[in-house]
Amino acid sequence: MTFTPIDKAARATPPAMARRIRGLSDRTIAWIFVAPSIFLLLAVNIFPLIWTIRLSFTNFRVNRPNNDVEWVGLRNYQRILTDEGTWATMQATAHFLIWTIVLQVLIGFALAFLINKKFRGNDLWTTIIVFPMMLSPAVVGNFWTFLYQPQIGLFNYVVAFFTGADPASFSMIGDVMLAPWAIVIADTWMWTPFVMLICLAGLRSIPNSIYEAAECDRASKWRQFWTITIPMVLPFLMLAVLFRGIENFKMFDLVVQLTGGGPGNTTTLTSIDLKREAFEKWRTGYSSAYAVILFVTVFGLASIYVKALNKVKER
Amino acid sequence: MAEVKLEQVGKSFGATRALDSVTMTVPDGSFVVLLGPTGAGKTTTLRLIAGLDLPDAGRISIAAQDVAGLSPAQRDVAMVFQQYSLYPHLSVRQNLEFPLKSPILRTPPAEIARKVGEVAEILQITHKLDNKATALSGGEMQRVSIGRALVRNPAVYLMDEPLSSLDAKLRADLRVELKSIQANSGATLLYVTHDQIEAMTMATHVGVLDQGRLVQFGTPRDLYENPVSVYAASRLGQPRINILPAALFGGAPDRAAQIGLRPEQIRQGEGENSLVERVERLGDQTRLHLNLRDHPIVTVTNAHTDLRPGDIVKIRPQNPFYFDATGARIP
Repeated sequence: MTFTPIDKAARATPPAMARRIRGLSDRTIAWIFVAPSIFLLLAVNIFPLIWTIRLSFTNFRVNRPNNDVEWVGLRNYQRILTDEGTWATMQATAHFLIWTIVLQVLIGFALAFLINKKFRGNDLWTTIIVFPMMLSPAVVGNFWTFLYQPQIGLFNYVVAFFTGADPASFSMIGDVMLAPWAIVIADTWMWTPFVMLICLAGLRSIPNSIYEAAECDRASKWRQFWTITIPMVLPFLMLAVLFRGIENFKMFDLVVQLTGGGPGNTTTLTSIDLKREAFEKWRTGYSSAYAVILFVTVFGLASIYVKALNKVKER
Repeated sequence: MAEVKLEQVGKSFGATRALDSVTMTVPDGSFVVLLGPTGAGKTTTLRLIAGLDLPDAGRISIAAQDVAGLSPAQRDVAMVFQQYSLYPHLSVRQNLEFPLKSPILRTPPAEIARKVGEVAEILQITHKLDNKATALSGGEMQRVSIGRALVRNPAVYLMDEPLSSLDAKLRADLRVELKSIQANSGATLLYVTHDQIEAMTMATHVGVLDQGRLVQFGTPRDLYENPVSVYAASRLGQPRINILPAALFGGAPDRAAQIGLRPEQIRQGEGENSLVERVERLGDQTRLHLNLRDHPIVTVTNAHTDLRPGDIVKIRPQNPFYFDATGARIP
């Protein structure tokens, strides 16, 4: 008779312990394995969420722990949703979100399309293009403030070179009209490579033989692009939009470093606003309500979007 | 409908020589089958004619027009790919419509619908028309792939093992269908296969490829009865031709190194003694596995034979093929 390692292990187990283990059902063992994950999830995700929702109905201030906490019902929500400042912030966020996504998808896809053509050194180019993504957002924010500098900034000189305007006549971060675009440009510079990589994965997933079949079926390059390339890359593209959308809804570091939310409140995105309410003004109850509103918004939009994404994938 | 002409066509992929100076004329309205094992250059030949790859040397012409520099679309060829190459995000119907919706053709919608319905019926995929192309079995995908070529009326059909993943019955059905479509429409069809039954039943001409060279081109009967080499003789015939040392039987010509015996070239009942090792009863015929001085021989006998393993059968060659040491036929 031969013994497998499992048989040997079974034999080596002391009888008392073996009896106890044998008493466990498969279900119990399954619970033992998943319990640590469930505990962690509850501790760092679910509990804070429930606690935040609870706090959002109070006037609690975390810097005044000894004050009486008053139950205020929906007053925090009412104040946020009727506050003009909040809506201005939301608008700034929407502007940032929409334009970064549009620009990054268009440029990212175009770059991926070009890089996907077979030419010498395209791997090297991919590495170079991907470089901005590897930098810290704080570093990127910091050096873009130099690029945007009216007197010495390279950006202003490049614009001046093409338009003939005086480089010192405008300030990307100082101007109320230009600042929202300044953050869009910096974010696009940094994150277009990410969209490009995902699009490239999509393009590489299309087998060459499908283009050959289309070629024999007498489809023009133009028709191949619209009936094969675009539909087959679309799920990847939508995934990129989802990632960038969620990321940029939470955008904080790059913009804080670049404009600090200014001038005025023109580049104060919701996450920056929320941070000020919570940790500068210490209005914990109010900011909790704010956070809940944002959570519901993102969660709702993302769910609708994921449903659409799945539909595209099934097509 | 057009004649396809290859003159001294060569193609290499890196160090491998895929095609070596192939000269062949595919007559207008013929059904040409290219035979040969993997790597013989069959698919390469199709791809060069389609214009998906460009030859390193030689000339290809379709309907007497040199096609060098023409795109696959301009050459007006329809190709069935071995790996199907369906458009995965489209339905079966959309896949079949795709070639007809080319702006060059301007086919009216009613005509497209009629054509697609007709082809779907022939290929027995009517009930799958609204499925997604990826929700099909391998055999169904292959039929859609054939359908995508058949909806058109190209100068040449190029088919790369189009029946390889179908089950036996469907394959037999489609063999008949393809042959009658080709015969009725007068289309020129170039067909690649491993399957000698497909070659024998459908081809008007068979081309045998060996390591990139066209070793023989002719009618299936010609190829069967007059093979130029051991290699060509081994392509056709079921059971396969027996290749034995020429000295095994008397009467071989001087230069002969090998003797080739198809079952009908083995006369039973006289000559050398051979031992019956196995008897395979296939119903319409019975195959005998014989052993003649340690050389295995397979032949065919009467379906109702009483022979059993261990019996002795006398055999002798009858109008055999003789081949020299290089494998070339000695006339």
